[in-house]
Amino acid sequence: MKLALSVVIAGAGLLMMGLPAAAHHSFAAEYDTAQKVTLKGTVTKFDWMNPHAHFYLDVKDPDGKVANWNLELASPNMMQRNGWTRHSLKEGDEVVVTASRAKDGTNTASAETIQKSDGTKLTFMAAPPPPDVK
Amino acid sequence: MQKSFVTCYAVAVSLIAASLVLAQAPAPGPAAPKGKGRGGPAGPTGPAPRLADGTPDLSGAWMGSGSNSGDISKGLKPGEQLVMQPWAEALMKTRKSQDDPEANCLPTGVPRGAPYPWRLVQTPTHYFMLFEGNIHSYRQIFMNGKHPEDPDPTWYGHSIGTWDKDTLVVDTVGFNDKFWFDYLGHPHTEKLHTIERYTRTDLGNMTIDVTIDDPGAYTKPFTTTGRARLQPNTELIEYICQENNIDLVHVNAPAQLP
Repeated sequence: MKLALSVVIAGAGLLMMGLPAAAHHSFAAEYDTAQKVTLKGTVTKFDWMNPHAHFYLDVKDPDGKVANWNLELASPNMMQRNGWTRHSLKEGDEVVVTASRAKDGTNTASAETIQKSDGTKLTFMAAPPPPDVK
Repeated sequence: MQKSFVTCYAVAVSLIAASLVLAQAPAPGPAAPKGKGRGGPAGPTGPAPRLADGTPDLSGAWMGSGSNSGDISKGLKPGEQLVMQPWAEALMKTRKSQDDPEANCLPTGVPRGAPYPWRLVQTPTHYFMLFEGNIHSYRQIFMNGKHPEDPDPTWYGHSIGTWDKDTLVVDTVGFNDKFWFDYLGHPHTEKLHTIERYTRTDLGNMTIDVTIDDPGAYTKPFTTTGRARLQPNTELIEYICQENNIDLVHVNAPAQLP
């Protein structure tokens, strides 16, 4: 899927880098890429808004206790150039997410891959670094 | 997977179709991008276009800028040196990532770029730089104009433009001291004077040199260089940073690279 999507996007002349960097604030200042989390849960909200899209996920722990997570994405502008739409996620979607957790220890993370229950994988959600930063 | 591929393919086809209708087509059949570097992959090749009167045509959607927005000292031209006044160096060391004006949806100022396309529009009297982000704002360049005697300090300053052969020279004064040059927080003062030189080297590529003269914060002027790449199938999209800027409550860290 990732390859297929890459090919299509490249064909559209819109291939962007998909590195985990936040667009208008420092990614490294907020998230710790060494603290990877895998979250399985139900989407409770998808905010398709600038400067970053977010979705929220109810995640149940082994004891049945539910915690709501805040997952940050890139800007809707760059995401739609990479094939996303405002309908790509919706309330009730069952997903498995890999993400980098926020350094402040809250239930906040930057999403890196999303797999829906039907097998669909969503990628390219991370913003490219500024084009002039090496 | 199949369904997703079909969906994505449909999106891509739609984008292509939309771009054919909407794009400001710079020239038929641009060559495929090749190479990489600051500003992203190289833009399409071909001769740099001109307006009917012979003026270089810089119009179009571009990505890239004339400096390194992570650390301005990394984009110096060969032989150039950036030396801060001691107070400026001390201030920079105290800066926190969450206080970066750009992260707070305030303008980047000059010359810091953003990871979004911008469009240059040329009219006989004014040139405009329309920024998708960050923020969703614009600069105006008064062609062959004059700076006011005592301009109010502003985020983008007061810019006048002239042509030096095929290079657009933008001279700007009247800046405020609020914006940061980069993610590291290199500071400046209201004495800042910038001279930007925009040269469209071919259809898809533009070099941008920026001389930064701020005797208030730096011991001598220095010049940075960068490049912009044409985005031939790109239209600017609304980007209102203030709408949902909820992330900074999670940031408490020294100013640092993105």
